[in-house]
Amino acid sequence: MNPDTRLKDPLSLRVTPWISFIGFFVVWQLLIDTGIVPRILLASPAEVGQLFIDKLTNPDPDGAVLLTHTMVSLLEAVLGYVLSLVIGIPLGLLMGWFVVAEGLARPPFEMIRPIPPVAWIPLAIFWFGIGLTGKVFIIWACGVVPCVINAYTGVRMTSPTLIQMARTYGASDWQIFTKICVPSALPMVFGGLQIALALAWTTLVAAELIAANEGLGYLITMGRRLLRPDMIVLGMIMVGLTGWIIGNIIDRIERRLTAGLERGGAAT
Amino acid sequence: MTGPPAREVKVEVVGLTKKFGDLLVLNDVNFSVAKGEFLAIVGPTGCGKTTFLNLLSKLIPASEGQILIDGSEADPKTHNLAFVFQEPSSLPWLTVSQNVEFGMLIKGVPPGERERRLRSILDIVGLADCANLFPNQISASMEQRVAVSRAFATNPDLLLMDEPYGQLDVKLRFYLEDELLKLWRELGATVIFVTHNIEEAIYVAERILVLTNKPTSVKAEIHVDLPRPRSFIDEAFIDIRRQVTDLIRWW
Ligand SMILES: Nc1ncnc2c1ncn2[C@@H]1O[C@H](COP(=O)(O)OP(=O)(O)O)[C@@H](O)[C@H]1O
Ligand SMILES: [Mg+2]
Repeated sequence: MNPDTRLKDPLSLRVTPWISFIGFFVVWQLLIDTGIVPRILLASPAEVGQLFIDKLTNPDPDGAVLLTHTMVSLLEAVLGYVLSLVIGIPLGLLMGWFVVAEGLARPPFEMIRPIPPVAWIPLAIFWFGIGLTGKVFIIWACGVVPCVINAYTGVRMTSPTLIQMARTYGASDWQIFTKICVPSALPMVFGGLQIALALAWTTLVAAELIAANEGLGYLITMGRRLLRPDMIVLGMIMVGLTGWIIGNIIDRIERRLTAGLERGGAAT
Repeated sequence: MTGPPAREVKVEVVGLTKKFGDLLVLNDVNFSVAKGEFLAIVGPTGCGKTTFLNLLSKLIPASEGQILIDGSEADPKTHNLAFVFQEPSSLPWLTVSQNVEFGMLIKGVPPGERERRLRSILDIVGLADCANLFPNQISASMEQRVAVSRAFATNPDLLLMDEPYGQLDVKLRFYLEDELLKLWRELGATVIFVTHNIEEAIYVAERILVLTNKPTSVKAEIHVDLPRPRSFIDEAFIDIRRQVTDLIRWW
């Protein structure tokens, strides 16, 4: 992280973000109210706000309240994401240190890697239907790639001096792996978690747009089918908000786990 | 000057040769180190000092020849070795005290004993106050002391030091060298101390091996029988210094 070297004026630093934030909604509202953008194409912030409150309790017209959609999407995302971490990170770490693991895992991995995650969607629907399992599979398939790559790269970047140091004390291969390579790969692994999360969330929404009967992506699709721009926008906002919250949680966990590196100022 | 009194042999190097492809680095190196001895090895930069220590600790294989520790082939898994590297080698995610404990942890020293040695070493080297700091919060000299402490904490039979203070300024070096000697006397280890600094070698060592340029072999052996603490302006010190300087004049 580079420090911001610009001259800082505390007042404008505090005020300008609010001006642009509020200004954004004001301009948006005005565009609709003045008819520059027709209501059929876009809902105003006030309408979206109203729908938000309404959808907290009202399952119509798409069949579920907002919380249900959000929880369905979250559950699919978290399950798929956790599965990709649980499999991808150990696999990547092992591939980085143990030649046998790399030899075995690399060819299939390299074959799957260039396939864009959304390309899995039709096959996943074919295999698992439009329910939970299919979504979890898709998210797993796209999340596992950055997990493997980053964990692998993190281990490969371990300082040779540290490895030699451990060796001279008689450390076994396994000890060097667990005590040197894994901790030194942690910052890279967390970088992978963030990438995987962004990917997983995007892919999930894409999957729900195509095939689902619940979830935030489904809410958006229903908005399109029912010609309800307010539903579409509400769905989009919820997707953004939820993704942002998960990202922050991961960030916080990362900061706690890599406290030593951060405190020493060696954060990459 | 007469030879050293007969002491038990700790390390024996026989016909050690190392080639990197066609590049002959070490050419038939022969010498031995006595148990508990403090041996310095001086040689020009690039002559193969680091390579030699890497061979000794089995980080890389020799092309020819043998290294025997206590009569058997050197092996960090069976011999109690410790290595202080030229470059910083503390683990950035561990605190100073966790770093000092690291070697003992690998060696399987029981927790109670680990704690005891940790306290005593931190006291000797004056790191007790920074026990909970991380490596990047301390100075380069402190970091090197952490590495030295980590090595001594394992009670090594053989301690290998590769220009450990090469990066530090002169004043600090004398201080750290005194500290090193103190640890050596109190904990009793066999030390091979590699440097390209002649004064440093004469200051710390009981015996100095002077290496030739590449392809490298042992050119001369000099015993340093000066009383300690040694002084750089002492007649005898300067005398030995001149002797070594003459040997390496054509480096
Ligand atoms: N892994 C290697 N491959 C090829 N040449 C090497 C390797 N390691 C060291 N060398 C060469 O061996 C010589 C001695 O290197 P080194 O032992 O690091 O010297 P010193 O520590 O005395 O400065 C140098 O010429 C160096 O280029
Ligand atoms: Mg060197």
